[in-house]
Amino acid sequence: MTPPPPPAESVAAMIRPTPLLADSQTNRDVMAVFMERPGLGWLLLIGLCGAGLVAGALTWIFQIYLGLGIAGYSHPIFWGAYIVTFVFWVGIAHAGTLISAILFLFRARWRNAINRSAEAMTIFAVFTAQLFLGIHVGRIWKAYFILPYPNQRALWVNFKSPLLWDTFAISTYTLISLIFFYVGLIPDLAIARDRTTGWRKVLYGALALGWQGTSRQWKSHTRTVLHLSGLATPLVLSVHSVVSWDFAVSIVPGWHATIFAPYFVAGAIFSGFAMVLTVMIPVRRIFRLEHIITDYHFENMTRFLLLTSVIIGYAYGIEYFIAWYSGVEAERTSFWLRAFGPYWISTWCMIIFNGVVPHIFWFKWARTHVPTIFVVSTLINIGMWFERYVIIITGLSREYNPAVWGHYTPSIPELLIVIGSFSFFSIAFLLFLKLFPVIPISEVKELEIHARSHGHATSEAH
Amino acid sequence: MPELDRREFLKIVGASAGAAAAVGCSDPVSKLIPYVVQPEEITPGIPLYYASTCLECPAACGLHVKTREGRPIKLEGNPDHPINRGSLCGRGQTSIGRTYHPDRFAKPMRRGADGTLAPIEWDEAIALLAAELGKASGRTWVLGGTTGPTASEFLDRWVEAVGAAGRVVYEPFAPEALVGATRTLFGVESEPIFDLSGADLILDFGSDFLETGLSPVEHARQLATARDAGEAGTRATRFVYIGPRLSMTASNADEWLAAKPGTEGLLALALANVALSSGGGTDAGRAALAPSLARFDAASVAKLSGVPAESIERIGRALAQAKAPVALPPGTALASRRATASCGAVLLLDWALGAVGKGVKIPENDGRRRSSYRAVLALVDLMKTDNVGVLLLHGSNPVYSLPPAARFAEALERVPFVVSFASAPDETTARAHLVLPDHTPLESWGDASPRPGVRSLVQPTIRPLRDTRAMVDTLLDVGRAMGGAVAARMPEGSFRSLVEAAWSSSPEAFRQVLAVGGRFENPRPAAVSLAGDALQLEVAEPLLEGDGEFVLLAVPSPQLYDGRAADLPWQQEISDPVTKITWTSWAELSFATCERLGVEYGDVVAIETVAGTLELPVFPRGGVRDDVIAIPTGQGHTVGRWASLDGKARGVNVIAALPSLTDESGGRAWLVARANARKTGGHFRFAIDQDSQDQRGRRLGLATPLSAFAAAGAAHGEADAHGGDHAEHHLREFDAAKDSDANSLYRWGMAIDLDRCTGCKACVAACYIENNIPVVGEEEVRRGRIMSWLRIERWVGDGSLEGGAGLDPILPDESGSIVDVRHAALVCQQCGAAPCEPVCPVIATYHNEDGLNGMIYNRCIGTRYCANNCPYKVRRFNWYDFQIHNWPEPMPLMLNPDVTVRGQGVMEKCTFCVQRVAFARQKAKDEQRPIADGEVTTACAQACPTQAITFGNLKDGASAVVRKSDDPVRGYHALHELNTRPAVTYLAKVTRGPVEG
Repeated sequence: MTPPPPPAESVAAMIRPTPLLADSQTNRDVMAVFMERPGLGWLLLIGLCGAGLVAGALTWIFQIYLGLGIAGYSHPIFWGAYIVTFVFWVGIAHAGTLISAILFLFRARWRNAINRSAEAMTIFAVFTAQLFLGIHVGRIWKAYFILPYPNQRALWVNFKSPLLWDTFAISTYTLISLIFFYVGLIPDLAIARDRTTGWRKVLYGALALGWQGTSRQWKSHTRTVLHLSGLATPLVLSVHSVVSWDFAVSIVPGWHATIFAPYFVAGAIFSGFAMVLTVMIPVRRIFRLEHIITDYHFENMTRFLLLTSVIIGYAYGIEYFIAWYSGVEAERTSFWLRAFGPYWISTWCMIIFNGVVPHIFWFKWARTHVPTIFVVSTLINIGMWFERYVIIITGLSREYNPAVWGHYTPSIPELLIVIGSFSFFSIAFLLFLKLFPVIPISEVKELEIHARSHGHATSEAH
Repeated sequence: MPELDRREFLKIVGASAGAAAAVGCSDPVSKLIPYVVQPEEITPGIPLYYASTCLECPAACGLHVKTREGRPIKLEGNPDHPINRGSLCGRGQTSIGRTYHPDRFAKPMRRGADGTLAPIEWDEAIALLAAELGKASGRTWVLGGTTGPTASEFLDRWVEAVGAAGRVVYEPFAPEALVGATRTLFGVESEPIFDLSGADLILDFGSDFLETGLSPVEHARQLATARDAGEAGTRATRFVYIGPRLSMTASNADEWLAAKPGTEGLLALALANVALSSGGGTDAGRAALAPSLARFDAASVAKLSGVPAESIERIGRALAQAKAPVALPPGTALASRRATASCGAVLLLDWALGAVGKGVKIPENDGRRRSSYRAVLALVDLMKTDNVGVLLLHGSNPVYSLPPAARFAEALERVPFVVSFASAPDETTARAHLVLPDHTPLESWGDASPRPGVRSLVQPTIRPLRDTRAMVDTLLDVGRAMGGAVAARMPEGSFRSLVEAAWSSSPEAFRQVLAVGGRFENPRPAAVSLAGDALQLEVAEPLLEGDGEFVLLAVPSPQLYDGRAADLPWQQEISDPVTKITWTSWAELSFATCERLGVEYGDVVAIETVAGTLELPVFPRGGVRDDVIAIPTGQGHTVGRWASLDGKARGVNVIAALPSLTDESGGRAWLVARANARKTGGHFRFAIDQDSQDQRGRRLGLATPLSAFAAAGAAHGEADAHGGDHAEHHLREFDAAKDSDANSLYRWGMAIDLDRCTGCKACVAACYIENNIPVVGEEEVRRGRIMSWLRIERWVGDGSLEGGAGLDPILPDESGSIVDVRHAALVCQQCGAAPCEPVCPVIATYHNEDGLNGMIYNRCIGTRYCANNCPYKVRRFNWYDFQIHNWPEPMPLMLNPDVTVRGQGVMEKCTFCVQRVAFARQKAKDEQRPIADGEVTTACAQACPTQAITFGNLKDGASAVVRKSDDPVRGYHALHELNTRPAVTYLAKVTRGPVEG
């Protein structure tokens, strides 16, 4: 099954140098977002994030020089906030591909309004996540050892190690997401090229790869997107499955569980959607895109949140049940102390924010009330960070040998680096807002034309 | 391509040459300079061993000093030495650090007008001292610690020759009361020698003989021997500990009687009373003692001592039945003002039971100069009254180790000229006018005689690292510099020639003695009989100063001893064997006391005695009486890189709260003060290296009741049939020998016997020194970043499922009288199915062909997944560049050149001393044979005083390790349910239950 070819008007709109059609309102609106001179708010925000990034980067350099000792690690807790944040960002990176690829294949047309920003978020999140692989290792200057490069000493990597699977999974995912993002961007880059002057024209011209909007190009483009969707779909499921195996393959109580792959994938989609909402709600407001990204889109996304919340709520329950049912004292102790031990705050944050609060979306008023959505999605983001914190820290702090039970508190340098990572992500996204069309112009217009020609309401999905 | 003309060509050539030259300039060229003349005996890469003697405590164990390329790198026990038989305690192991201590005096120091010490030349220093001695004529005193016979004899002659007033020996933990009691009872001036190896019932009245007693290494070995044997493997030897605190020694007992401190003598007599009246003991004993013992009946002594009358009667009857009982008299911690009587009472018990001459040997009067606290106090009085002109201090740190109540520091102010022979700064050198640094024992000649018949040599193994001189040589030169009659009376030669002359007639004979390490004979026992006034001992409750509700117990620290080891970083970092606390002091209070005071783990309390107030954090435990506060000695130094906190006291010096008092025979009394405690509101976070002593039934340290063992003995030959009874051991689930390469002759393995392990941590110290393990300091230990590859986990019973929800460690209750403490030495288990191996992405940890779980430091990138996945948690990570921060010059000289010094960001762990295995393999290969059993052993197994660790080849069916591991009753693998296939087999502790009588 191939998607229907774009209507002729749309093709015409694409190739015309100046906006003539009525639907050029979309062009103008979207172009305005990234063509307008940056406002004070944008500059303030990027300045703030820049400061955060510099602080994080300097701390990292300091850490490379002095050693990982400046982080809060202790003897049994060898993984801390860096891996927590790594998994958090990999999770965030899931929404983009899910929206672009899976929803594309399912013909959920409402995705068109948000897929560009979701994809951008994916790319930036996965880059941010990859930073943590470097931040986390003890000897970053030897980190290339993890790549299976040929060498005269016949050194090879260990294909049994989940960390190696992780390396491959993440890099594959990065590559595919990047290509997917770029291919989808090409028609819009051409629009931008045709409407800009100066350095922007040169940039977009180069990036548009000579897009003319011919039907042959559209045909190739559509097929490419389709095939890439097919390629990316299994990745959505595999990447976070592999990340979950970083834990599940070990023998650490609280990690060693078969439910981890689906549990993590659901969690990733959950957190990814929550992040898209957290970011897009202010973006829509600031750039006045209410007529493109409508409450209808938000409502659909909250439905996803509800679904995935139920799945991970179930996973939380199953984890405790299996810990009890297994009869293994170490497992039972680990889970008991997860809820009632030194990290009980994190655990209850995770359970309440992820497993309880999203149930508010059973109610229509909540699904359509934007402030509520914003608050809930932010809580979910916090809750999902704590979920990884709980899994990693409580698991490691109460292992098999009670002589080496221990405690972990993130140190200030560690928090600076985590803040730096959020700043990195935010800067990337802010620059993206000002450099590229945040809404896929061609796809939205396609929807509009489609709707007009069929007399459907714009915002209704099919 | 543009044409290259001549000018262009020259330009390029010139620029390249310049660039090449510039690159060449960047680094200075360092060259390896080969020996022009190869030193005799030294082959690079091959260690040389020298026999010597450890002078860390008066026990004087024999040493084999391992040197590489002319540098001592490790101290091991001399296998021929009768005291330690090849083992060495932790303090002995780490005393190597004295030689390489970064703060040693580089040369003589003189206090200038500005009050600071400044270096001077030796000639100048000697002339100065000679002049001062001349001025002080007759008012010169020598005060110092134990010295060997040659030095001691020389000092006496020197004192006489220079016209000094006298010499006082001062050893803080000297068993003065025991010597006094022996003198009173038997009329012999000597220290009794206790031999536990043949005993079937051991009573320790608080001597803590496994920690700081008379000869810890020797006694540990004897205890293990006694317990292991028994008729037909019955292992029936029982050990009862009597004392107010469950010390490390007590943790090894079968039964603990928590007697009120100072009532040991009463208990000894009550036990003697019961034993004699129930038909035990010798006829002579009964005849001499029975009437006078009548008043020490179980009921009244029970009331005084807090020990149930039932226990006294039961153990008394057991003593009557025992064939070879031995009772050890109270040690330093319990030396009250009636310590001589207490010790005498215990010796009387020994005598009455017929142990004297068997397990307790009283040697002949040895004529040694002994420490006398009364003499020290007399000297202090002389100093106060300006009767001391020159004070020469050696081998001791009296400013620190004498109670402030003795006013030594004030008295020292009045001495016009104080000379110290210390090799490194301490509280006393801080007040000396002249420091004439002595060699360390590894640089010096000397000898020691821990007991009659055993004479042990000290020989230098390295040229002095600093401009130091042996004290005897310095004093010789001073004497000669004084000229006249004094110079004429100085012996010819040097300290070395004095030692040589004292030991043998010819250089050849001396060489032979040097190779052995000394002359070892059995002591001649004195023909002892009970002196007439033996029964005049006033055995009664202790006399205590003050009126607090608690008794203050100063516990000799097994790590720091009297404080002398406090500036050896390893001794600070290797935790206390009971509380697992490092780098500081603590007060042990019972749970009930803590509840009453409203304090918890780490809360700071103020402890007041008549002599002073100490503020220190609390360690609550069940193993201490409700009316006792126990504080370890050794901390509270104000001088020392590691001993102090930049010149401020680290922890507290418990001595500061003790009045300065003596016992009946003039010995130093330690159990002298009552104390009050109150909450201060402060809190302190201890740096501990074991979070919980409750194993939650997880089978890390197992125990087997003696009955199970006997049952197995009865059903000998059908060991497998015990599967039902001992299924929890799962010993034969797999064959560890198969977990190495099929072509390899070896699968290295270990058997660790919990019934022999006393928890003394000699192995831990040996591992630190052998494997260049960095010391990380208090703050890092607090964060759980201690680097020890080997740790002794102390488990109290099987544990419960309580606790663990808080941040504080779980402190199990150990207050019961039946002791079940298991010390499990945890090393890397070298698992056959190691969880760490598959998770490493770069194969930095791997299974080698001999079944070892190898670690390639160069390959490690520091993902730390291996450590997460290790259920035993034996992997350590280099969070910082510890070796740069923690090995100041010249400490790198003591690094073992066979072991990589690990850099920042890599994982490390125990590899069964793979460097020793490699060395043995090369040797075997040269000789075209396989490595023989016992040819190679790990540093921990080598050091162990009780031989609790057996290392060897699991593929060799006849090897000692296979024989030990294949124990169907006691053998088990730690956390076997994880199927890690460990190469270490643990042998469960045998719980023998209460003494039956």
